[in-house]
Formats: sequence, structure tokens, C-alpha cells
Amino acid sequence: MSEPTAPPEPAASRPDSTRTGPGRLLVAVYGLFALSASARAGVQIATKFGHAPVAYLLSAFAGAVYILATVTLSVGSPTARRIAVLSCSVELAGVLAVGTWSLADPAMFPDATVWSSYGSGYGFVPLVLPVFGLLWLSRWSRRARTRRTSVTSAEDKGEAAGRDVAHGEGGAPGQSATDVVADGRT
Amino acid sequence: MNGAVPTTIIVAGLALAGYALLMTALNRRMNVPLLAAVGVLEILLLVQVGIIVAKLADGQRPASLPTLIGYLIATPLVPVAAAFWGLMERSRWGPAVIAVAGLVAAVLMVRLHQIWPVIHV
Repeated sequence: MSEPTAPPEPAASRPDSTRTGPGRLLVAVYGLFALSASARAGVQIATKFGHAPVAYLLSAFAGAVYILATVTLSVGSPTARRIAVLSCSVELAGVLAVGTWSLADPAMFPDATVWSSYGSGYGFVPLVLPVFGLLWLSRWSRRARTRRTSVTSAEDKGEAAGRDVAHGEGGAPGQSATDVVADGRT
Repeated sequence: MNGAVPTTIIVAGLALAGYALLMTALNRRMNVPLLAAVGVLEILLLVQVGIIVAKLADGQRPASLPTLIGYLIATPLVPVAAAFWGLMERSRWGPAVIAVAGLVAAVLMVRLHQIWPVIHV
């Protein structure tokens, strides 16, 4: 997906993808949770599934959602961004629902999931992470909209034709310069 | 001798996180001193893995062996993955990734103690 970025990784120099800038940190934390949630669920399901099946299946589901968010945020194409918004939303709904459920019916959860008590076992990072993810993605869709209105129609057509080919490369130079300044300040 | 290495890792991890966050706050990019600090953390983590493997070779067993093995594999990968991912970033957010690795190293030591109390912190 990111392979077609032919010239020496423009993504590395300026924030023109969801995986650069603050997104770099976001993808790192998502990757961490993808690994820890799915590895933990895997061990629990393989060794003691009968002990707390609901908790373990929810952990596995959480792990899958984290993997999806990590991959889509690091790909960063328009389609991937849409899937990332979806997975962050599912994640936020999941942590709120499972958090409430685990407090209301503790008997259902003899062993904790990532999302139990709104992720208190993980320093409430699972609660905060989807909020930051959605904020980052919304900033991105705003940026894409402003770019779309500022580029000429010819460039617009070009982007529409090759939307998977390193978007941002053909973006207006003024736009990326302001992005760098904005990122330096925030 | 027992708790010296994990305690050192917790202190080093938190110190690295603090330094890296300061760099992020001051708008600094990744640099050589920060990478060297990540290298020191990596060496400490490998020493800790060695100590645990020695305990296992000694015949001692934790309550959940698969969990411990998972930790033994994942722990030394954290600074390496963070260094690669952080080096790809040419802004203040590279050091922010390193800060996460420092915090995770400290948390992992506490978790190791929880899954196998033989490992003192």
C-alpha cells in the first residue's frame, strides 16, 4: 500500500500522511495495544478459555480492532482513513460499553479485559486513545478538504485518478509548508 | 543483586521518557544521545531477559509459562521497534515515540513481577 511512494519517502519529511507527525506517536501506541491485547487474548483463549469466555473473546475482539486501527492509520490512504474512523469509533463504543458492563455485572468478568473498568488496568489509555485517533483523523479530513478546494481542477483530476499513489505529493506546496509550521507550534 | 536490574530498568525507562518528552516539548528531532540512551535501555532489558532465562534453566517455573515467554520475546523488541519507528520521523514526534518505549519498559518490569513474583523489583 505504501510501496508506490516512489521518491525517497516524502512521508518522512513532512506530515502528509496519517502516520507522520503526531500520527507517528498514535500509530506507535496503537501498535503496542494491538500486540499486547491480541497476545494476551491468544494466551488466555489457548490456555484457560473456560475460565472467563466472555472476557477473553472481548479481549480478542479488542485486539482485532487495534490491529485494524494500527494498519489503517499507518497506510493513510483515503479508504484506509475511512476504515480507521470506523475502527476508532467501534473502539470508543467498545470501551464505553464493556467498561460499563464490567462495572454493572462483575460476575461476567472473572478475569479482566483490556476494556474492563474503562481500561483502568492500562492507565485509561484505551479510553483516551480512540478520542485522540478520531481528533487526528478529523484534522486530516479537514486538511484534505482545504487542499481539494485550493488545487486546480487538473490536479484534482490527477488525485482522483491515482488516489492510492502517495497522496500529498501533488498537493499544493504552500499547504505543506503551513502544515510544517502548524506542527511546529502545536 | 536480585532486584537491582529491574529497578535500574524502571529508573532508566522513566528517565528516558522524561528526557524524550522534554525533547518533544522543545521541538527537537531524534539525535545521537537519545539513540545511545535507547541502546543502554536495550542492553539492560537483554540482561534482564538473561536473568529470567537463567532462572528457567534452573528449573523454576512461573504460574503461566506462555505469558512469561511472550514477555521475554516482546520486551527486547520494544526499544528496537521504537528506535526504527522514531527514526523514520523527522519531527518532534520521533522522541515522543521513544518516550513511550521508556514508559513501556518501566511498566513491563512491574508486570513481570506480577506474573512471576520471583522477579523482584
